[in-house]
Amino acid sequence: MTDTAFGDLVVHHVKKIEVIVRAEDQRMIENLFHAAGLGGWSMIRDVAGFGHAGFHQGRTIFNDQSGLVMFVGVAEAAPIAEAARGLARLFQSLPGVTFLSDVAVMRSDYFATVRTEP
Amino acid sequence: MTMLTTIKVAEPVLARPETAALVALAARRVAPLWPLQSAIAVNPLSGFEDLEYDEAVREGANCFEARENLPLNAWRNLLRAGRIDAVTLQKVVIERLGGLEPALAPIGPDVSRLDLLMARLIDLPADDQPRSAGLPADAAFIAKWCAAFFDQGQTAATMPGRDLGFYRAVLALLPHDRDYRDLTGAAGARLLHCVPRDPLDAIAEGLSALEVAADAAQSHLAALVARLPGWAGHIRWRTDHAEPEDTAGAPAGMADLIALWILLERAGALAAPAMPSPPPIDAHALAARFGLARETFGKGWDDVAAIAAIPAPELSRLFMISAERGYRDTIVPDLAAAAKLGVAPQTPQAQLVFCIDVRSEPFRRALEAQGAYETFGYAGFFGLPIARHAHGNKRRQRQLPVLLAPQHDITETPAPGADSAALLRARAFRASTSGWLGTAKQGLGSAFATAEATGALAGTLMAARTLAPRLVRRIADSIAPSADQVMAPDLDTHALRRDFPAFTLTEKLGYASLLFKMTGLATPTARLVVLTGHTGSAVNNPYAAALDCGACGGHSGGFNARVLAALLNDADVRDGLADEGLIVPASTLFLAAEHNTTTDAVTVFDRDRIPSSHQEDLAVLCAALDRAGAANRQARAAKLGRAADDLITGALHWGEVRPEWGLAGNAAFVVGPRWLTRAIDLDGRAFLHSYDWTTDPDGHTLAMILTAPMVVAQWINCQYLFSTIDNQRYGSGDKTTQNPIGRIGVVQGNGGDLRVGLPRQSLFADDGTPYHLPQRLLTVVHAPFERIEAVVTAHDILARLFGKGWVQLVAIDPVTGKAKVWASDSQIAAHPGAFHPTSQQENRS
Repeated sequence: MTDTAFGDLVVHHVKKIEVIVRAEDQRMIENLFHAAGLGGWSMIRDVAGFGHAGFHQGRTIFNDQSGLVMFVGVAEAAPIAEAARGLARLFQSLPGVTFLSDVAVMRSDYFATVRTEP
Repeated sequence: MTMLTTIKVAEPVLARPETAALVALAARRVAPLWPLQSAIAVNPLSGFEDLEYDEAVREGANCFEARENLPLNAWRNLLRAGRIDAVTLQKVVIERLGGLEPALAPIGPDVSRLDLLMARLIDLPADDQPRSAGLPADAAFIAKWCAAFFDQGQTAATMPGRDLGFYRAVLALLPHDRDYRDLTGAAGARLLHCVPRDPLDAIAEGLSALEVAADAAQSHLAALVARLPGWAGHIRWRTDHAEPEDTAGAPAGMADLIALWILLERAGALAAPAMPSPPPIDAHALAARFGLARETFGKGWDDVAAIAAIPAPELSRLFMISAERGYRDTIVPDLAAAAKLGVAPQTPQAQLVFCIDVRSEPFRRALEAQGAYETFGYAGFFGLPIARHAHGNKRRQRQLPVLLAPQHDITETPAPGADSAALLRARAFRASTSGWLGTAKQGLGSAFATAEATGALAGTLMAARTLAPRLVRRIADSIAPSADQVMAPDLDTHALRRDFPAFTLTEKLGYASLLFKMTGLATPTARLVVLTGHTGSAVNNPYAAALDCGACGGHSGGFNARVLAALLNDADVRDGLADEGLIVPASTLFLAAEHNTTTDAVTVFDRDRIPSSHQEDLAVLCAALDRAGAANRQARAAKLGRAADDLITGALHWGEVRPEWGLAGNAAFVVGPRWLTRAIDLDGRAFLHSYDWTTDPDGHTLAMILTAPMVVAQWINCQYLFSTIDNQRYGSGDKTTQNPIGRIGVVQGNGGDLRVGLPRQSLFADDGTPYHLPQRLLTVVHAPFERIEAVVTAHDILARLFGKGWVQLVAIDPVTGKAKVWASDSQIAAHPGAFHPTSQQENRS
């Protein structure tokens, strides 16, 4: 796929951050994203998979905190970098993974930086 | 006074998200603290659960200046009273010394290591463990502002500027605060001019100014959080669990609290933590206990010195392990024997599903003695993730464990045929009276006049409530009927979206079906199936919610029972269940009831809607419930040292400090069919969750039981354990000197930190002897070993709790009846294999 393939479609190059953490740590990531200025993000609850500690089951229906949750945030490079710095601090003590990548979006105003307090 | 004080202003090194991350990690140092009206049991060391139990306790003791275990003298008293088995203690000591040979080998004239260690345990003077001093001035200062800011309507004049947030609001008022001036002097005054107004920025700048190393920043902030664990716990509740209306207009996070601490620290006003250490034990004194001197030991003197140097907390730990081992070795053989015997089929007169709460166990046993009654244990919220919008109450009530978020908002409607007018009139009168009386009492000009005008009436009422509490209650009940009898859950209307029902049919079917899957309840069912929630009764008791159902968010469980009973009586639900192979006979009627654990009365709800065809069944059951209640009340009264009838008075008396023992004594969580435990008197110490392994081939049900109800049971167990070990730091101290504050918690005396944990009267007898024996939870599961292993290894939380010694897991194989113990992480490292025979589990920590 090349830029030519988009024709006259205007796309904006931004950064994406994906984080997978224990559901019990969800609030920490939200606060951190707020502090970094991310204007929004998506969450995928009940993530299952295989990792260092073996297979992770999804949450059980009596315990919202028993599974993994995935965050997907897109923003300009600066807030994503700040979020990543914060995550590096968190992951010194907590289990979790982060993926950073370049992505293109069509509506850049949806991903503007917002300065709010945690 | 004018004086130039140099304030170090440094550029922050940390970015805001880094500071936010450090604050979030530091906040984990304390457990959330729920307000009193929905008291939820938590482990005060939940922030240390990633560590091995022993290490966590040591870290916690250092962090909170708390004890690691009960004082040695308290354990000795328990040993003398026969509550610790002397033989078990000796076995534990032998294992501590490395086995029989090293324990019994003589190291001096007629003296062995065993003799020496037993002497330290039982005979020699015991040094108490470190205890905290009073609240230092810096903590008292922060606590004062916490109380002012977090007040939820108790004060007549609220703190100005609350909408700015905790840190900013306090900063704005500090120039007028004499305590601040006294504490921080000129440095504090100058700091007020230059510190950032944003708490995260203030923390980042403060860490730089204080030259805290990057790798020490997290522990530095965590230590600040731990200085006031009660208020910090309240902030954690606000941040993670409160409803939006609880915090509206007064935002506050852990960053606000830490920023205030940093302000004091930068002003040089932080008190050094007091860490008194117990004096070392003199080896000569130990030798002298046997009439010997150092010379007589020769090379064995090193052993004497080593045993003399064992810290007091480790000695207490040996007692605790003895208590745990003695308990395990008492009940596990009985359960294993029952597993071998199997079940004899019976046709029950009625089936009753109780909450797993330990207080249900003796009541179930008493009821089963009355006839062919089959009982089950299920989490007391009956699997319903609901919030209750009680009639006349503006706030919704979460009727579910804190592990879950509500998915259904249930409103109430007048029950068919019930006269709700009297209730509404009484509520309107009460609201109006408390409104003007509250205003008059708190007014500067009217307070004394109000006291003068109403004093005689109030005095008369107090005298009546003191001398005739039952009569007063009867009069009150005649004026205003019980809301539970007049109002009923409305399943046809969502409380927040009135055009929608509270449940779809699919959801109804899911919750109905879950009852059968989770408990092993099989069809055909009996003519009556009674879902029995529970509640407690206490008057003028800040801890009343602690007697209610923890699975229902610290509220009464009858509401959930009514909702599920209504679902199960729904014809469409019955059809759906039949499609799943659960054919409930048309003759089966599901009823809702509530067991009052203080009085042992059982209230059956919606009796007027029970068809005549089942009235006789109900009459027989109610008579059996009455007899069971009387028998259980008698047994409980003996444990309280009172007359059975006195418990009913105590439930209504404003001066009662111990209406019941609550969950004191809790020690085990048994997952298995009732026939496994039915013949065993578990003495009200066991949570019983029904489970049939034969209907759970993939282990999903077992996973749900272990990751939710058992986790809640572990929180309860740890709350009782640590509240007993150090009632001042992990508990809330003596009830008689407590004061409720801000409608959110209690303090001792007139200020200070919010108290966490349970009061002394809930754990100790009047003579100071622990009624609650501090020991970790023993979980027993009746299922094949490999299935249990698969469930535990697939869930981090279970692997952590069992592997790190917070809970001991015993599995009983349903076919062979053989029992094995889940090995700790360190034991697995030494001897691979998740399950070990019980004999290899000695001296486990």
